[in-house]
This record gives sequence, structure tokens and C-alpha cells, in this order.
Amino acid sequence: MPKKEMPAGALVLLILRVLRSGPLHGYAIAQRIHTLSSEVLHVEEGALYPALQRILLQGWVTSDWGVSETNRKVRFYELTPAGRQQLEAEMSGYDRVHEAIQAVLRTA
Amino acid sequence: MDKLLRRLRYLLNRRRFDDELANDLEFHREMAALAGGLPVGDPLRLREEAREAWGWTWLDRLGQDLRYATRLLRKSPGFTLAAILILAVGIGANVAAFGFFNLMVLRPLPVRDPASLLHFQRQAPAGYASVLPYPEFDFFRRHTTTLSGLIARSRGSLQMEGDEKPLKVHFVSANFFTELGTAATLGRLLDPTRDETPGADPVVVLSRGFWQRRFGADPSLPGRIIHLNGKPVTVVGVASDETSSLALETPDLWIPATQHPNLVPGSKLLTDYSVESSGEEVWGRLKPGLTPKAAEEELRSLAATLRTEHPEGIWENETLPSEPGGYVTSLLGRAHHGTGAKDPSEILPVASLLLALVLLILAVACGNLGGLLLARGVAREREISIRVSVGAGSARLIRQLLTESALLGLLGSAAGLGVGYLVMRGLMSATSTPLWLDPAPDWRVLLFCASMGLFSALLFGVTPAFQVVRQRHRATRTRQILISAQVAASCVLLIVAGLLVRALSHASADPGFEYRQVVTINPELGNHNYSPAQARTYLETFQSRLRSLPGIDAISASSAPPFGNKTVTMGAEFEGRILRVRTSSVDPSFFGTLRIPLQRGRDFTAGEKNALVISQSLGDLAWPGQDPLGKPINLGGHDCTVIGIVANAHVTSQQDKSAAEAYFPAADADLPSMILLVRTTTSPESLAPTLSSLAKDVDPKVMPDVQLMKNSFQRRLQDAQYGVLSISILAAIALFLACLGIAGLVAYAVSQRTKEIGIRMALGAKPADVVLIVMRQFARPLGIGLLLGAGAAAALSQVLRKILFGLGSLDPVAYFSAIALFTLTVALASIVPARKALRVDPMQALRND
Repeated sequence: MPKKEMPAGALVLLILRVLRSGPLHGYAIAQRIHTLSSEVLHVEEGALYPALQRILLQGWVTSDWGVSETNRKVRFYELTPAGRQQLEAEMSGYDRVHEAIQAVLRTA
Repeated sequence: MDKLLRRLRYLLNRRRFDDELANDLEFHREMAALAGGLPVGDPLRLREEAREAWGWTWLDRLGQDLRYATRLLRKSPGFTLAAILILAVGIGANVAAFGFFNLMVLRPLPVRDPASLLHFQRQAPAGYASVLPYPEFDFFRRHTTTLSGLIARSRGSLQMEGDEKPLKVHFVSANFFTELGTAATLGRLLDPTRDETPGADPVVVLSRGFWQRRFGADPSLPGRIIHLNGKPVTVVGVASDETSSLALETPDLWIPATQHPNLVPGSKLLTDYSVESSGEEVWGRLKPGLTPKAAEEELRSLAATLRTEHPEGIWENETLPSEPGGYVTSLLGRAHHGTGAKDPSEILPVASLLLALVLLILAVACGNLGGLLLARGVAREREISIRVSVGAGSARLIRQLLTESALLGLLGSAAGLGVGYLVMRGLMSATSTPLWLDPAPDWRVLLFCASMGLFSALLFGVTPAFQVVRQRHRATRTRQILISAQVAASCVLLIVAGLLVRALSHASADPGFEYRQVVTINPELGNHNYSPAQARTYLETFQSRLRSLPGIDAISASSAPPFGNKTVTMGAEFEGRILRVRTSSVDPSFFGTLRIPLQRGRDFTAGEKNALVISQSLGDLAWPGQDPLGKPINLGGHDCTVIGIVANAHVTSQQDKSAAEAYFPAADADLPSMILLVRTTTSPESLAPTLSSLAKDVDPKVMPDVQLMKNSFQRRLQDAQYGVLSISILAAIALFLACLGIAGLVAYAVSQRTKEIGIRMALGAKPADVVLIVMRQFARPLGIGLLLGAGAAAALSQVLRKILFGLGSLDPVAYFSAIALFTLTVALASIVPARKALRVDPMQALRND
């Protein structure tokens, strides 16, 4: 099972996207991305937590204490309205770029 | 904005957020371990990387660096103390200079709403005046719509019953205190609704100092009647001295200007349009929202209106230019008027000269400290290489070294703040400045001081930091440049100090006349409305009374005697060249009284007209190579013939080196402004008390101002002496620092070249050769520095010449003695370490390492 590194800039988009369905803790975010990508994408700690700090600083997510499935106190991250907006903007942007790249790949 | 706030929140709650982050990471690892994954990477490192997103890493590093720097400085207290002392001198001089500038120019006067105060002068093609005639002020006051209030003030003196000396009085408009927001220490101050109305009772407000001096701070004083010039005046109160009185001196009394005619016999102050004898300094308070331009424009049109009624009093096309009135600068000028354009302000050249000098001191201090840091770099060689080998990048090392410098700079500026404050306090108490001028540093001084500290840290820290990190301290190039800079800067200071000392000794030496036994008596007859004929009678009576006193050697009179407040300069054309000539009108016995030798020709005879006596240097300047005797000359519109030549005497200006002076015989029109000169054979002090009673006999209304000429002479020199003293101290400090720097460098060179010296001595070099080898490498930086310094001093003295005395810019004595003093001191200072080279034992030196 090959582990692919995350394309730059996509990590923030993915974090925001997986948080749309509800608050998650850091490990769950990594896991969710991993499983949803059919275990292609692997999020390293060294990338995840700095990205989370940046997102927190931007005000796109907030953090709150909760209890994990292992019964441990841990921070859960939740999307804010600003984060929701950012996600919409990034997704439409990503779609356009993706289609454009696809178009080039198909025809060229 | 939100982002910035959140970022700040992270800074303030760093510990909590950091713990939370650590918890996240720990949990992540636990879960990963449960899932069977292996932990990757160092948790601490991960945490640091994540934290970097908050954007405060630099602060952490700065904290680290500062803690390290503090430890380091504490470990070598000798170095730290020396560095702080050196900086304290360099920065202290700057802080003191800036402090004075701040007091003069930047800090508003302690009055109510200083920003809206404007100070007005008169300007017209025909001339200028710093004062307005009272009727003009009154007209403006009644008609202005742009100014909410106008303040007038004129200076005068009144005699109080039972006192020997006349009191200093400011005659003011009654709104003076209410406009300035002055508080009363006792009783009440002037009230514009009561004290200025026609027929109002004469009232007086006392200054706090005078109240304490003269009345022992008697609290029951208000309501008491005192007699001024023999007239009863009611004391209404005492003003506090915390508010500026819009003057650098505090008067004894304030009296409404409307009382001037009641108290001063023959006063025409309220009706006279001429500004020759007196006039009002005028301030206006601008209404909110208006510009000074609007007020100037309104006053200009008001002046034009007034001119239709009083064409003799108001000039054609008169304008009333304003300057900000809420600053000390507006108080500096003495009353002046004249034809043509006003002399440009002297503040700027003085300030720039001062700035140049104090920056030089800072340059010397920083150069010196830079040398110290380089030398320390050698001692820290081991530490630096260890840090490099454990992975410190050169950027990180330079940052660390610069942090150390910045810390030193800030410590030095704190010490400099103290030094600057002490210097200001000392100078201000020595020159008796008013109490409301507070030398305590305000935020501007603090800001300046801190930025000076950081600026000097850059100056002395950057080059050594790079040198040390590159481990290139063996390259003596930087040291030599530092030495050159120090030499140049201290050389400039020494030369300028030398020029000033020369100028001062020139001024304090022989002014060309004998002043020690002379008393001046100024009856100010013009201010008492004397006609020329009355003045003649007065002067003649006075002189004949004087002659009957014992111990009188000679009596004369002059319109502008030495050390007076008045100088008259006239331009005259000589064969196409315009010369500025200082003139005065004198009585025939003038030259004898002041012992100015007549060299050729003759003295005036009584009642002579159209004759002129000139000084020798005027003769040389006007008719070089010719005999001036009998030459016709047109001076200030008078056609005269030169009848005599006297030796050079600096009568009207002690600062003008050329002493180009001309003496007219006193004409009738001069008589009301004549000042008597009395030469005594006994001590002049004993004469002074007799004179005031004698004056009372001649005319009791006139209280002449009696001065001993030797005291006036000392006073005139005092300011210059303080200036010379300060600059000499600066120069001495610079010299001392430069010597320390060079001596240190020589010592270092000797220690570096011990081996080479040993070999040379083993091969038979003589002691003189050895010393020469050590010293030779310093000859070039020293020479370059001296050359640069002399050049810079020549440039600076051009500025200096404009503001001080008549000193020559290329006074060879000053230059050579400064350079000689410098070279000699430096040579002596470096001989001590250089002699160490001679004690090198060749065997020892060769066996070393």
C-alpha cells in the first residue's frame, strides 16, 4: 500500500472538508483523510499540526475540549462560519483548476 | 484585524496553548501506537514547527539571546562597565543636546493651549520690527474676528519706594494671565473686565520670587498699597511660577499696560506709533479651526485700514507674519527693528553645529567600543567555534552578537539619560534659567535616548559581529578604519575647541580699551520724553555734579558704549566695495575716557559737525595703502571727513575681529539716547551708591541704570565661556577615548607579534627599530584620521564663523596646537604598551607555541 504525500495547499482544503460533517480531533482528521482517500493519502503529524495552527489562527476552526473514543481528554476541532465560507471558496477554486488541468491532460 | 488579535491571544496565553498542542501530539502518538504505527520524528521539534505558525518564534529567540547576553555581560563586569561608561559619555552628550533642542523648539510652553498661540511681528518693504505700537495692537484687538484674544507685553522698570535698584516690570494687557491660564499663588491676577477700564485703580501682580525676596512671602500682602515711581499702586495678588511668563526672565511685577502713563513720567506708550523707543510684543490666540494664514491675512487688511488714518505710523504694505507662539523659540529674540530684511534665525546653525559636535563624540565612543568588541572577539574565539561546530549558523551567531550589542546600547543609553540630565541641570542652574523650563526628560527625550542606544549599537556592533563570526579578527583593516574614524572625530573636536578657546581669549584679552575703572550711567532720557535741549541740560548738570565728586578721572558720553544693548551698523561704499561699519556717536573726551590711543590726526572739538574718527582697521579696509586722513566719506547719509585715526578698539562689538568702527561727534538728535561714562581713580564700586542719590538730585523722575563696565564685560564673556568649557570637556573626553583605543590596539599588536619581535631581536634589531615596527602600522590610520579631521574642522568652522565671534576659519595656531596635542598624547599613550615589545625575551618568544 503506497503512501502518497499530500500535494501542497491541498491539506488545508482537506482538513476543512472533513470537518464539515462535525467536530473531530487531530488523529481522527488524519485517519478520516487516510480512509476517505482509500488509504492513498497519508497525513504526517509534522504537516497536520502546523496546518491546524495556521487554520486556527485564521479563525476558520475553533477548538474545544472533548473526550476521545479511548476516554481521553483531547481537543476537538470545529468548523466556524468563516471556515465554511473558506471551504466553499477553496472548493470551487479547486474544481476550476482541476477541470482545467484535466482538459489539458486530455487534449494535449 | 481578527487575525492579529488571535495572534496576540496566542502570545499572551502561550503556555496554555503550548500545553494543549503537546496534548494533541501526545494523543496522536498514543492512537498511532494503538493502530500499530511507529512514531516518526522528535515530538519537541514537531511542537516547535507547529508553534511557528503562531508567528512568535522570533520573540522566543530574542528572549534566549537576551538571557544569554545578560549572563555574558555579567560574567565580565569590567568590560561591561567600561562599555557602559563610554556609551554614557557618547549618548549623554547627545541626550543633553537634544534635551536643549527639545526645550527650545519641540516642547510647548507651559501655558493653556500653547498650540493656538501665535507670535506676531511687523514686516514691510520699508523695514521690520519685532514689536507693534500699542495703538496698532489695540486696533487689532478691537476688530479681529480670527483671533479670540490678543496679548501685549512690553518691558520696563519702575522704582519702588525704599529700594536702591529699579524693579523689572512687564506691562501687559489685562488678559495676560487669563489667556495663559496662569494660577494665582495668592490673591487674584489681572482681570480684563476690571483692570483695563478707563479710570481703573492701578493694580500690580507680583512674581512669586519677588514676593518671597522682598516681602518674605507675607500672606496678607494682597490689598496692600506700594509706591512705584512715587505713585500708589494696589497689590492684588502673586502669580505662580509654574506657567511661562512668555519670557526667559521672570519680572518682579506685572502691571496693566493701560497704567503705563500714570506710572512712567512722559510716557506716550499708549498713543505713540513709533517703535524706536518702545512697543508691544504681541501674541494672539487663534480661534479653533482657523489657520495662521487666515489671521495674518486679516491683520494685514486691518493694518491697511489703520494706515488710512495713521499713514505715519503704519508702513506701506505692512504685513504681520506669525510664528508659533507657544514655544521657547518665540521668546528668544530681543526687541529689534531696522531697515531691510531681518537677520535670519540663529537657532538652526547653532543647532546643527551642536548636532555635529555631539555626533562626533558619539562616533568616537562607538569607534572605541567597536575596537573593544573586536578585541573581545579574540577572547571568545573558542566559544564561537564551539557554537559553530554544534550547528549554529552564521546568521544566528550574528543575531546573537547584535543582541549583545543592542543590550549594551540600551544599558548605555540608560546611563546616558542620567548623564544628559545632569549636564542639563548643571548648565541650567549655572545660567539661571526660569523654573518652568524643566530639564526632566519627557517622552521625546526618552524615545530619542532609546533610539540613540540602538543606533550606536548598530554603529559599534555590526562590523565586529561580522568580523568575529567570520573569525577574521586577525585582519587589522577594520581596526585601522576604526582608529582613523576615532582620530578624525576627536581631531575635529579638538580643533573646534581650539578655535573657540582662541576666539575667547581674543575676546577676553584686550578689547582695545580700558574698562576696569569705568562706570556707565544710562538715564534713558528718550524713554522719559526728553527733548534734545532738555537732555543737554540734564547731561551737563549731571557731568558738573560728577566732577565735584572725589576720585573722578574722566567723564564722557556715547550713544552706544561697550556692552550696551544697542549696536548700529551702517553700510558704506568704498571704491566699489561695501563695508559694514559699526558706528556710535561720542563726546569729545570719549577716547581719553576709555583710553583708546589716538594714532594720527586729532580728537573732536566741542560742537564739531561732519567730522569722523575711524579705527585703524577701518582705515586699512577702506583705503588700503592710502592715508585715510582728510578723506571724504558718506556714512548713513552723512557726508563727513576723516579727522582722526584711533587704535583698534572693540567698542560696539567684542566679537567682531576686524574692529571696523567709526565715531561721529554727538549731534543734538543723539542727546536723549546718550549714556554717560565715568572713569574713576578709586574703586568704581564705591562710586555706584553715590551716583543714584546724585541722579535723584538732577531729576527725581529719572532712575539711571548704573553698571560697572568690568561686570558687564564678565557677563558678556560668561555665555561664551560656558560654550568653550563644554566643548573643551567634550574634546578632552574624545581625546581620552581615542588614546585608550589606540593604546589598546598597540598593546594588542604587540601581543600578536611577540614571535616576530623575538626573531627580529634575535637577529639583532635595536630597541628603536622594534618600537618603530610596532608603531609603524598605526602611522597611516593616524595620518588619514588627522587629515580627515582637519578637513572636517575647516568645514565646520565655516558654520561656526557665522554664529560666534569673528574667528578665522583657518587659524593655524588652533589647528597646529590641536594636531600636535593629539599626536603627542597618542604617542605617549601608546609608548606604554609599545615598551612591552622591548621586554620580549627572544628565547621565550620563540619557544611559545
